[in-house]
Amino acid sequence: MLGFVARRLFHLVPVLIAVSLLTFLIASLLPGDLAYVILGDQATPEKVEALRHDMGLDQPIWWRYISWLGHVLEGDFGRSFRTGQTVLQAVVERLPVSFELMLLAEIVGLAIGVPVAIACAVRSGSAFDRLMTGSAFGMLSMPAFLSAILLIYLFAVELRWLPATGYVPFAEDPVANLRFFVLPALTLALTEWPGIMRVLRSDMIATLQEDYIALAKAKGLKPSRILFVHALKPSSLTLITITGINIGRLIGGALIVETIFALPGIGRLLLSAIYTRDLIILQGVVLFVAGGFVLMNFVVDLLYAVLDPRIRHGHA
Amino acid sequence: MKAVSRSRAVARIFAGTLFGVASFAGGAQAQKPGGSITVGLELDIPGFDPLKVGVFDTAAETAAAAIFDTLATLDDKGEVQPKLALSWSHSDDFKTWTFKLRPNVKFQDGTPFNAEAVKANFDRQKDPANKCRCAFYISGIHDVQAPDELTAVFNLNDPAANLPGIITQPSSNFVMQSPTAWKTKGDDYNRNPVGTGPYMLKSWTAGDRMVLEKNPDYWNKGHPYLDRIILKPLPDAQSRFASLQSGEADIVWDDEYDADNIQNAQKNPKMTVHTYVGSGAQVYAFNTKAAPFDDLRVRQALVMAIDRKKMSQALTNGLTRPASNPYGDGSWVKCKDDGALPTDLQKAKALINEYGKPVDFKMIVTATPRGRAVGQVLQQFWKQAGANMELEQVDQATIVPRAFMRQFQLTPWRIIDLADPDPQMYANFHTGSPVALANYSNPELDKLLEHARTTADTAQRIEDYCAISRHINHEAIWFWTFQNTYYAISTARLKGLPKIYGGVIDVSNVWLE
Repeated sequence: MLGFVARRLFHLVPVLIAVSLLTFLIASLLPGDLAYVILGDQATPEKVEALRHDMGLDQPIWWRYISWLGHVLEGDFGRSFRTGQTVLQAVVERLPVSFELMLLAEIVGLAIGVPVAIACAVRSGSAFDRLMTGSAFGMLSMPAFLSAILLIYLFAVELRWLPATGYVPFAEDPVANLRFFVLPALTLALTEWPGIMRVLRSDMIATLQEDYIALAKAKGLKPSRILFVHALKPSSLTLITITGINIGRLIGGALIVETIFALPGIGRLLLSAIYTRDLIILQGVVLFVAGGFVLMNFVVDLLYAVLDPRIRHGHA
Repeated sequence: MKAVSRSRAVARIFAGTLFGVASFAGGAQAQKPGGSITVGLELDIPGFDPLKVGVFDTAAETAAAAIFDTLATLDDKGEVQPKLALSWSHSDDFKTWTFKLRPNVKFQDGTPFNAEAVKANFDRQKDPANKCRCAFYISGIHDVQAPDELTAVFNLNDPAANLPGIITQPSSNFVMQSPTAWKTKGDDYNRNPVGTGPYMLKSWTAGDRMVLEKNPDYWNKGHPYLDRIILKPLPDAQSRFASLQSGEADIVWDDEYDADNIQNAQKNPKMTVHTYVGSGAQVYAFNTKAAPFDDLRVRQALVMAIDRKKMSQALTNGLTRPASNPYGDGSWVKCKDDGALPTDLQKAKALINEYGKPVDFKMIVTATPRGRAVGQVLQQFWKQAGANMELEQVDQATIVPRAFMRQFQLTPWRIIDLADPDPQMYANFHTGSPVALANYSNPELDKLLEHARTTADTAQRIEDYCAISRHINHEAIWFWTFQNTYYAISTARLKGLPKIYGGVIDVSNVWLE
């Protein structure tokens, strides 16, 4: 097992380098030279030249990448030219918000998706199954910005059960914190559960046709035990992959959801960095997010190995 | 404070010393002290140090209006009133302005506010070593001197007949910041601002909320009324309005592209819609050195083909007001004849026919839903006149360098709401200015612009500016679509909001009923 972990970790290195290179390239190739952005409506050619020199923008791009990477390896991700905040400060400040949002969204998504999938798999082809598969398809097609506004109007403006926007740190007031997170987490979960449900449902249907399930039935085991113990575990490999990939999708969704619900998370930080061309923050945040995503996939790989011994021993 | 007239302010000084009277700002409504409000802004505030952020956006100015003071301020009639300065005078050529400062004012960190502090604020922005982006906007100020404790002298490079009006904006240039604070806090000063204003920064969570607490030692006794102001960035227009409806916010920023919500709020007795039609306009510049806009007929034809009323209806349910000159209803420049070309599609067609060659061109628009919508409406008008416009969508940050390098045929621009037309009109139209985007030079126009900035007599200046407008409208080197209208929506309980000059929601003196 240790060897497996070491091998996988070693594979992460080139992936992370590729990610950092891509991040740097995308940020550098965005239209609109940074010097112009900073100088705004006084971007005379001389001033632009001077600033480009000061910021090292006149160096070749590969050199800038190497020196940026060098600083990153030393733990220095740079400072925002707009706020003077370091990338590390900015990310650490915002990370808990996005992390909580993703965690809650994933929990709610699983809490809706898994039971519905099992119920559908058991009665596959029934009216209930068709209804749920159909509505899952509908939900999948509904963009987060639409469901967010609908939820706000229903629960915040009309019923006044929940706040429309805002945030309180968990440590300050846990109950208020969760109240602020209900609608954003639900919004993201609404786009999450259909995927979870559809994948788990089809895997479950396949598993339920396996011989050993028939055997279990023949032995007279309780249907609930067959479903949750014998069928769920082998059916959940794809589910774990999906959950891992979803984390990446959730980061994308968080951009929109954090903006609508005014949550001070990574998504908002990234968005405002893009709008204001705060490249240092942009590069840093994307690197963090991508690194997180890569790590998440690493964890998923490990979970595979735990669930399926064939993978652990390298025979898969 | 903003509503206090000059004579009343002077009266307050005497009355204040004789009787210790708390508040003079009269009016029919009784101001109620206490309470707190939440303000929903459009943008995150990056900070307050001019060296870091360069210029403040309207969200930062809203906060700055509460934390800092300016030397002078505008009342609701648009007249300049004293604030940190009590009075001012100028030399005959308008190149030297002397401000007498308010005594016994302290910054929130205890640093005394005096002429040295005023000088230090400007010196810091102008120091070439600091390379402050803010310096551009005060390039007309040569230096500031402090001959004694309470006298600040501004020496200007160019004459300015209305300097006190120009410095009323709570921008990064003109709010007075504590020199001690920026010196001791260094990099951290940006997010820990210290001013002389009615509110002090208590806490600030990036991207979430800025909490301002009443300054107990504020120089204007009896002010402010509220104990606390919370500023929150609520970037999404729909959820910002929903926050007002559900009570999470008491006042929110808005604009005419959110027409549905503004019109709903106007019908709602529990809400107040605050509107201010400012000076300036949404404007567009033709590059007169690039074909086909090197021909006057083409430029005139395109301007005449625009039906601004229809455009307003299509884009904003009719909320925006058409503009026929660069000054707008909010400006003191009112023209009997601004020389606006009429809306006349037939004439436009005729002019394009007369030109004889096909009129194909590209117009730069911002790659946003709004930018596209505006571009598409114009495209339709021009198509009817026989001209083919292609939209070139670029990002906001790209427009500026393209405009500077004159790499465009037609570009959007903006004339913002300022107390005086001179800074922008001179920059936009005087020969040789980097933002004289039309690439147009005319000695007569230059002369008018120079005359307008060196004349004290308002009537004469109005005449100059109207002549300038007639010239530009006739030459059709720039055109204007809509006036700048600013909106804020609040709960009806919120009272005392001054005019939203420049889109800045100044809540520093409001109260709750």
